[in-house]
Amino acid sequence: MQDSKYYEFFDYAHQRDIIFYYVGYFSQNIISAMAETVRLNLEKSGVTGVTRRKLFSTFVEMAQNIVHYSADSLTAPDQTDEVRHGSVCIGRRGDKFFLLCANPVHVEETEALRNRLEPLRTMTLDEIKRAYKESLRAESPADSKGAQLGFLTVARDASEPIEFEFHTDGLSDMSMFYLKAII
Amino acid sequence: MSNVKIDNLHIAGTACTPEVDFRFDIHRLSLKGESYPENAAAFYSRIISETREYLAGLTPDERVEVHVALVYFNSSSTKMLFGFFEELNQAALCGMRVELYWYHDREDDTIEEFGQELHIDFPEIGFHDIALD
Repeated sequence: MQDSKYYEFFDYAHQRDIIFYYVGYFSQNIISAMAETVRLNLEKSGVTGVTRRKLFSTFVEMAQNIVHYSADSLTAPDQTDEVRHGSVCIGRRGDKFFLLCANPVHVEETEALRNRLEPLRTMTLDEIKRAYKESLRAESPADSKGAQLGFLTVARDASEPIEFEFHTDGLSDMSMFYLKAII
Repeated sequence: MSNVKIDNLHIAGTACTPEVDFRFDIHRLSLKGESYPENAAAFYSRIISETREYLAGLTPDERVEVHVALVYFNSSSTKMLFGFFEELNQAALCGMRVELYWYHDREDDTIEEFGQELHIDFPEIGFHDIALD
């Protein structure tokens, strides 16, 4: 085969203990199929119940965040079955797991995202749980499909502060949004 | 007080939505399975509105049993479930007896804690925590 670059890619992923990686378009059907596979995979690899549930929950929140918010959409804005582009990765590092997701966002949205995520990095677990309860009781903002509760759920299940980054190439009005959680 | 009987509500479960078995005729409402629909607001708003209609037609001394056995629910489902229990709490405040049976895996702290939250927030609802092995 002439595809040595792909071997490099697989080898790179293998050496870094990548358990699961997906890049492409996300729809609810794809999420549901991936979620089932991820759950089975974690069960078979002997991951404890509590960690498994946290990984599963974070996976679903990240994947649904992409399907609702990625700026690269195949579907019309008024369509209910959304299909949007992004990627999710689950890996192992030492005795911990990490989840990473990425999707493009409009540059003008980065400030609002930063303002929502930055405070979560310095909050204690108790503070996160309290903010979660408040968010549960609050009326949703009109433009939200539940993102704040989603981020709080990721922060609640993570064992370390969540990490995020925006990569902007300066050429387009898009920025790549990365979010990482260590479980 | 209306005497309008509303039809039972049955929605088959899928990989990401729960089985909904609301037997309004015998006052037994049951939710079972997974809950991470694409649009939780759309999925639950029908359930909530039919429940509201059912509760409005009940006599104040009626006893309603609610069985919730969800394996997993995502953040947007959590928000909708909270709204559902708010409706039930309202009915209980009007004199109806609402009993919530909350099933969860013994190891699942998240679901257990959410049950405790509901119990604190909605004290009018009789709460029964059932840990499964």
